[in-house]
Amino acid sequence: MIPISYYYVLATLIFCFGSLGVLFRKNVILTLMSIELMLNAVNIVFIAGSRHHGNLDGQVMAIFVMTVAACEAAVGLAMVIAIFRRYGTTKTDFLRMLRG
Amino acid sequence: MFFQYLVFFGLSFVALSSALVVVFSKNPVTSVIFLIIKLFALAGVYAQLNADFLAAIQIIVYAGAIMVLFMFVIMLLNLTREVRSASAPIEWFVGLVTFLSFLIYSALLFFGHASEKVPEAVLEVSSDNTKEVATQLFTVYIWPFELASLLILLAIVASVVIAKKHPDDITQAAVGGSK
Repeated sequence: MIPISYYYVLATLIFCFGSLGVLFRKNVILTLMSIELMLNAVNIVFIAGSRHHGNLDGQVMAIFVMTVAACEAAVGLAMVIAIFRRYGTTKTDFLRMLRG
Repeated sequence: MFFQYLVFFGLSFVALSSALVVVFSKNPVTSVIFLIIKLFALAGVYAQLNADFLAAIQIIVYAGAIMVLFMFVIMLLNLTREVRSASAPIEWFVGLVTFLSFLIYSALLFFGHASEKVPEAVLEVSSDNTKEVATQLFTVYIWPFELASLLILLAIVASVVIAKKHPDDITQAAVGGSK
């Protein structure tokens, strides 16, 4: 049986790639996809913890995380479409109205 | 035993390398394709953790529905050509510090757990993972389940309202046809 720390390391690395994408990429869609990466990393931890502790609570939580991820993707992509129609771009460089 | 490690490291390698491609690829369509590959690899990891139902859900919901949505929006907005703009040094610095701190955290997790004796998994391999998850979901977690349905309803309404046409739009012709 593979030790749980291996799964933690896998999840941490994927989470950290996702955070890199959020920080580096200038495209809003790529930012959303990086958030999906990070949510997936959270799911790995939940499911590995579920096996480790011997109950199914982690798997149920992973289902809720997937629900939230689906909602977030739908609303986020709707916002991307609205932003593109309003400003003609999805680059975060040009969307600086809140930057002050 | 050895075969389990082989499968785990193979799937992890596929997941990590395609996650890197997702983050650093120039073309958003390539990113979506590699994100799908990564989701499949993670579904394999879930299956290895005795979470059969979640592996299936991962493929059906994530790779089947959410990624189609992403691909659809990318194709709709015609975002395939992306002009790379240079990042400011401060952005590189912040990103690098975040990356390194996560890396150090990961190393600490690994070596911290490797030294101590971690109790082995006690979740027995069940023949019907779906039934057990469903039992848990509809008894203990019934209220969160109902709230999740409400959340999905809200998301449907919100995305319809947000994506509606607006008088300030400048590119009516590009999306949703001409008026």
